[in-house]
Amino acid sequence: MTATPFNLLLLTSVLWPLFLVLMLTFKKFHTQLLYLIPWTALPALVVIAVAPNTVTQVELPWLLLGGTYALDTTGKTFMLLAALLWSVSGVYARSYFNQTQKQVRFYRYFLLAMAGNFILILAQDPLSFYFGFALMSFSSYGLVVFKKSAIAVRAGVVYIALVLLGEVMLFAALLMATQTAESTMFSVIRESVIQSPNHNVIIFLTLIGFGIKVGILGLHVWLPLAYSAAPAPASAVLSGTMINAGILGWLRFLPLGETALPDWGTGIIILGLAAAFYGVGIGLTQRDPKTILAYSSISQMGVITILLGLGILAPQMWPLILPGIAFYALHHGLSKGALFLGADLCGSKQHRDRRRIWLGLWLPALALSGAPLTSGVIAKHLAKSYALHSPAPWETLLPLLLSISAVATALLMARLLYLLRPSAKPYGSIPTYGLVWPWIVLLLIIVLTPILVGYSFEYALNNQLFASLWPLLLSLIISIAVYKVRIFHIIKPISAGDLLVVFESTLKILQNGVKQLNSFGKNYTTIQHQTKARMNVIQTAFLTKIGQIESTLVRWEFAMLFMLIIIVIVGFFALEKIYE
Amino acid sequence: MNWDTLIPFFVIMSSFLPALMIFALAEERRGLRITLNLIGVFVTLALVVFMFIGVYQGHHYETRLSLLPDLDMVLRAGPLALLFAALSSVLWLLTTVYAIGYLEGSPHRSRFFGFFSLCITATIGVSFSGNLITFLIFYEMLTLVAYPLIVHRGTEEARLAGQTYLLYTIFGGTLLLLGTVWLYTLTGTLEFTPRGFIDDVGEEHYFALVSIFILLIAGFGVKAALVPLHGWLPRAMIAPAPVSALLHAVAVVKAGAFGIVRVIYEVFGVEKAALLGLTQPLAVLAAITIIYGSVMALFQDDLKRRLAYSTVSQVSYIILGVAIVGPIATIGGVVHLVHQGVMKITLFFCAGNLAETLGIHKISEMNGVGRRMPLTMTAFTIGALGMIGIPPIAGFVSKWYLGLGALEADQEWVILILIGSSLLNAGYFLPILYRAWFLPTPDKWPDEHDLGPNETSLMLLIPPLITALLALGFGLLAASPYSPLEWVKLISRREFY
Repeated sequence: MTATPFNLLLLTSVLWPLFLVLMLTFKKFHTQLLYLIPWTALPALVVIAVAPNTVTQVELPWLLLGGTYALDTTGKTFMLLAALLWSVSGVYARSYFNQTQKQVRFYRYFLLAMAGNFILILAQDPLSFYFGFALMSFSSYGLVVFKKSAIAVRAGVVYIALVLLGEVMLFAALLMATQTAESTMFSVIRESVIQSPNHNVIIFLTLIGFGIKVGILGLHVWLPLAYSAAPAPASAVLSGTMINAGILGWLRFLPLGETALPDWGTGIIILGLAAAFYGVGIGLTQRDPKTILAYSSISQMGVITILLGLGILAPQMWPLILPGIAFYALHHGLSKGALFLGADLCGSKQHRDRRRIWLGLWLPALALSGAPLTSGVIAKHLAKSYALHSPAPWETLLPLLLSISAVATALLMARLLYLLRPSAKPYGSIPTYGLVWPWIVLLLIIVLTPILVGYSFEYALNNQLFASLWPLLLSLIISIAVYKVRIFHIIKPISAGDLLVVFESTLKILQNGVKQLNSFGKNYTTIQHQTKARMNVIQTAFLTKIGQIESTLVRWEFAMLFMLIIIVIVGFFALEKIYE
Repeated sequence: MNWDTLIPFFVIMSSFLPALMIFALAEERRGLRITLNLIGVFVTLALVVFMFIGVYQGHHYETRLSLLPDLDMVLRAGPLALLFAALSSVLWLLTTVYAIGYLEGSPHRSRFFGFFSLCITATIGVSFSGNLITFLIFYEMLTLVAYPLIVHRGTEEARLAGQTYLLYTIFGGTLLLLGTVWLYTLTGTLEFTPRGFIDDVGEEHYFALVSIFILLIAGFGVKAALVPLHGWLPRAMIAPAPVSALLHAVAVVKAGAFGIVRVIYEVFGVEKAALLGLTQPLAVLAAITIIYGSVMALFQDDLKRRLAYSTVSQVSYIILGVAIVGPIATIGGVVHLVHQGVMKITLFFCAGNLAETLGIHKISEMNGVGRRMPLTMTAFTIGALGMIGIPPIAGFVSKWYLGLGALEADQEWVILILIGSSLLNAGYFLPILYRAWFLPTPDKWPDEHDLGPNETSLMLLIPPLITALLALGFGLLAASPYSPLEWVKLISRREFY
């Protein structure tokens, strides 16, 4: 490794949160540390500010199984988003919790997850990425169950089960990819994965493994549960930056821009489309703002998934699409972070406070809906321009579908703003100074984002105004119509975690079905009782059976018998040989 | 007279002599006993380190004593021997410190520490053995000297556990002896040789070789706790915590696994064993043990019992690694000797701390214990996550090499075993972590003792912290020079392939 000042700074930005976690072990430093910790992500911001244009790799051959770290172009966007959100949420959390003990407990998991997030962004080899990913995923468990309510515990179980599933799938994918590539560098793996006879398996495992984090349809069930269960600053980073770890994983691992894989491409686009609409569809029925935001994330990640599918379908377009995906992730992350924090600020009973916060919330909501002059319109415009150049039949279908999805997103945002309207019941925390100012900073960043990326407003006003306005106007009309018809009073909200609930209730229905069959013509309650007892008996019998097998196996007579059998068999062979 | 021919002998003596002296000490001579113990530990450590450097530079250390005509007692410090010896001596140091803290004020300490040192003598002997007969001698010595440690408490249950242990291991020893003698009649030598010494045995002895292999593996399989020969291990957890720690991490269980490694690489030669069709069934047996042990661990509420079943499962990683024929899988298997050692000893130390400090023996009593004993539970967490195979802890490195090696050898099914085992490990370790860190602390612990101003006495606290750091360091710095992984790569290059 060349110890240039920049490289040292790069390493410091990653080690800093880990160092602070270590320092938290010492109780006597807690007071001082709590002043420092909210700002832990600042070195990472400095890193991005001073990053040279040429990418230099930091080789750490002694670390794990040899690590390579660098801040490349894609990484820079993700790092920027991560550094911003971890900073804002870090400051927010300081005022969110009023007891030192809670702050310390929260920051412990928070800092570990932050370090994992930074490591995976900088990682240029799959093992380092996997390490960062694991560190982040397992530490965030502490954030998900932080409130210790029954809801949080249930969310935690679903979360950790899916994390583990993702971990082992990625483990298998990594092994196969590494074995084919005979290298542990992303650049080599991306090129050579396709030569593996197992490349379909590898792609599938990668897609699902990271898809769990992204919340692709079917594996999204943890998102609504975890986001609404976690404390607001944790939800902000979970939905804003940690979700992007899955996207970044796809970008790093999948053979994008190499070979066209039409089947995979089409499949992924369809998957993305499904998530984009499904997320909004379920989200609209929800009444909890944080759950709505979670479903909005599922839908927005669906849009990114569509772009990814385009890249697999048409590799020649990939160099164009890649920065688009990165920008989309940045835009979504900032807006979603601001929405989560803003939604949490609606706890005041005073109408004036509520109205101010509510007006502030319009900004990220509009940005997410792709309103003119926001980052959203850039992101939507980029997505649509790729769609227009995509291979048939997508070039006609996709732009339209993307516009409809924009309408859908706007509807969802309208629903959110309606639920958080100043006259509604207070929700979340009382907006104190320490909570509000980091949020305002985040809002300012969202305002400035289009300017910072050099977006031409003049051009926008002349050419895209109508294109970006009509989905908004349409959704406004629909929203007003819906409000007048009072349709939401009729709709019953689908339980957060939709499919999970379907899964759970299928189990229940099956159980009930068995009961029904049994209770044919008999008194139901006694049958219910009997069934329950019978289930218990079966369960106990099963456990006893296992116990019995083991207790047979661990009897010494059994072991002796086993060894004697070995001797007899062996002796038999020996005798046979002798008398042959 | 050359020093190089004496050093292996000195290493054995450096724990054997203190053991004898400790036996002779009166119970209350605590200071002298500790001094003797520590002198033994540090001399052993120094000699092992010395030989490490020597072997790295290409030196040979070999002690040869005539045992029978044509049959020598050979102590040789090869790279593999040193790996095991280094593990034993480092963990012996930590366990000694731990045991001193743990047994503070309890009776029969001279007896305990005497046998404890003998246990290490035997383990070091096992590691340096240069031929099968020397190996067997120390192996049987280990069997016997571990017995008083297992029954140390003297309760009815302990005696029963000891009885079971002896029955299993003596029978296993018989199989070993049978196999060894038979092998000797075929080959006329028992000298451990890189890539095996059975090349000259003719084709007509195929069945004899297969039989010998089965006898030897079954014999070693008893201590290595291969299903269905594992029955003694969960019972032996009745022993005091430092004994369990040493038993599971280096001494007894590992000696069995180490024996299997020796048999496959330096008696048969792994390629020859594969040609005889012996490795595949062994791999399957190891896989069954891995899954079976983990499934059984799920159902245990007693913490040490759960850890014991976890050992059953984890030690078979080593056997799986050597039974998948190929250099990379071998690296994964052999390095797990060390990795499993440091992780499991951490877990047992922590279990001992919980029992000694708060009287916690059951997992259901562990609610909120993370807040009462944060450092102990941090060490436990590192050990447990390492067992699951989460990077950057050492267990991940083993798992990674096992998986890569399995793919290289076209044995994709092993990946499924690794995945299954990881999930099962998560299934029985994560609930413990959840209880300890996220559930509320009870009003009263089962049997709380005041052990000083820290969460527990420092003698009990520091060893698990060090081993947890080792488990973390061995993974985090796996690719750096002198890491266990790099050393095992060197072994694999020089001796196996």
